[in-house]
Amino acid sequence: MAEVRPDEISAILRKQLTGFESETDIYDVGTVLQVGDGIARVYGLSQVMASELVEFPNDVFGMVLNLEEDSVGCVLFGESSLVKEGDIVKRTKRVASLPVGDEMLGRVITPLGLPIDGKGSINTKEFLPIERKALGVIQRQPVKEPIQTGITAIDAMIPIGRGQRELIIGDRQTGKTAVAIDTIINQKYTHTEEAKSLGIKPVYCVYVAIGQKSSTIAQVVAKLHENDAMNFTTVISASASEPAPLQFIAPYSGATLGEYFRDNGKHSLVIYDDLSKQAASYRELSLLLRRPPGREAYPGDVFYLHSRLLERASKLSNELGGGSLTALPIIETQQGDVSAYIPTNVISITDGQIYLESNLFNAGVRPAINVGISVSRVGGNAQIKAMKKVAGSLRTDLAQYRELEAFAKFGSDLDKSTLRTLAKGSRLVELLKQGQYAPVSIERQVVSIFLGTNGYLDSIAVPDVKRFEKEVLKFFEIKHNDILETIKKEKDLSPETIEKIKKAAEEFLPTFKKNV
Amino acid sequence: MAEQKVSARYASSLLDFAIQKNQLDTVSNDIEFVSSVLKQNPNLNRMLESPVIKPELKSSILEEIFKNKINYDTMEFLLFVVKKKREEILFSILEKFKELRDIKLGFVNVNVSVASEFSDSQKSELKNRLESMLGKKVRMSYSLNDKLIGGFIAQAGDTVYNASIKHQLDLLKKHFVEASPITN
Repeated sequence: MAEVRPDEISAILRKQLTGFESETDIYDVGTVLQVGDGIARVYGLSQVMASELVEFPNDVFGMVLNLEEDSVGCVLFGESSLVKEGDIVKRTKRVASLPVGDEMLGRVITPLGLPIDGKGSINTKEFLPIERKALGVIQRQPVKEPIQTGITAIDAMIPIGRGQRELIIGDRQTGKTAVAIDTIINQKYTHTEEAKSLGIKPVYCVYVAIGQKSSTIAQVVAKLHENDAMNFTTVISASASEPAPLQFIAPYSGATLGEYFRDNGKHSLVIYDDLSKQAASYRELSLLLRRPPGREAYPGDVFYLHSRLLERASKLSNELGGGSLTALPIIETQQGDVSAYIPTNVISITDGQIYLESNLFNAGVRPAINVGISVSRVGGNAQIKAMKKVAGSLRTDLAQYRELEAFAKFGSDLDKSTLRTLAKGSRLVELLKQGQYAPVSIERQVVSIFLGTNGYLDSIAVPDVKRFEKEVLKFFEIKHNDILETIKKEKDLSPETIEKIKKAAEEFLPTFKKNV
Repeated sequence: MAEQKVSARYASSLLDFAIQKNQLDTVSNDIEFVSSVLKQNPNLNRMLESPVIKPELKSSILEEIFKNKINYDTMEFLLFVVKKKREEILFSILEKFKELRDIKLGFVNVNVSVASEFSDSQKSELKNRLESMLGKKVRMSYSLNDKLIGGFIAQAGDTVYNASIKHQLDLLKKHFVEASPITN
């Protein structure tokens, strides 16, 4: 057995002890007057700042939210049973902040930056405040680069740009989180050498889970690992069992981490899953702090709560490095009621929304996106030209289909052109169906939409459409990979490419029919 | 909470009144006296707080105790407080008065806990240091606390000057814990 010499130990101890200063420690204190429900009222702390971190005994931290004439209202980030009346509260002289850095990637952390994945401490060098003011007009530029979600329906008709805020809204069990996770998984491509050569910058992702079951969060993390997406992703977890203050600050922590990437000229994608739960925890805090309740008992500044968060999404000007922060907030509606308080607020703040509907989901249309009422207000500028060309007719075809669909239900005799529109529409709907965790690259999306809108599916039976798409894309990959490469490189559909696609499709069609 | 606001209101009016009448010293001596009596006799306080006892009785009791021992104006103030049915917060009014008077006169109370009794020269040195640091006149009060192991803790208002061995050991412990590689 190896021996450890006592003098070695004392040398190590001495080394640790050097740099430890033993001067008089000066700090400000207050006394707890009242504590309960995660709120403490403190007397003293006369110089304390709003949203400053304060330290209670037993390593419980709190944040100052209310500064009143004779007391200070704090929210507790830990067990309120560990804090008693008369306890001494210490100021930390720093506002609530998050350690940031590339070291955060691949980790699961709390909203205060502590790791909870059992992989050891995170040695970051920088701290950024959790609440930061959003950038002004001068520092920004219009959204111009696309962020590919890998979901055909979204990339074609509701394109999202880097720096945009796109709301994902729908009832429970409609696949809201699935859309977000697929988007993260699809960012894997942006980290490849190939993407680099094409000038596509990598996107770093932050997934903020607010008020969810810990098992769900664990599942998401496992899925991200499984799909190699965890290397460029940080998961911020404030599960349902965490106190309301942590759930309340979690999205701001996520935004802070996203801003770190943005300010370093990188691109980031932050998913807030979901903001309705955050609003509920903020309501809890506000009511406990005795702020007056308003509509649905939310406090008066619940709009500001979300607007200041989402306003932090931005595309920086070139002088500032051109980084971006894209935000994908998620809102859960009750029984499809989008006119409730929080959904209307967030709809008005964001640059568009993706509606997911449970009846579509149950009818087997997955992702259950209602493309009729989903919009993207700025992403169109970011869409690549090739997609713009094919998606225009897709949108009109689907719109016509939805209009006629109601008629068709009467079962009356329909003329030929109506039947044709209906047939095409049902095939396009089929084409837009997509499995979970199976993002499709942009050039494949372009090819399949092109085939769909140009009548190549008309001869295929509706149940065979998905199989056709799969096989035709395989065929393109093997025999006409040059077409896919050209679309990828040129990002446009030249007449020659269109001719080539047509020729290849005609070459494939007879072979497919034989298989039926 | 509301109590604090009310007592501040009464205390500041008494202070203004005393300054106006040029009687700050007498009034403040009276207040010190009354508050020490209240502190030493919990029963007196209980009597004032009791809603069962009639205000007239309370006034006459107060009059009997303090008449001729304190200034006429101070006595009137005590009776006025009872008349306004605020006698239950009388003690906190008196405390607030002392606090406001100290602010007015530039005094600051410093509570010092020491591990072992300070010598007079140590005391005066600490006082001088604190006075130059705070820029105010300092009124010191000492208490003994052997849990500190060594050194002292001085608290002036909300600010704590912690030079105790115990605190330094706590900090050292934290320093070691934070330096270890796995903290979660």
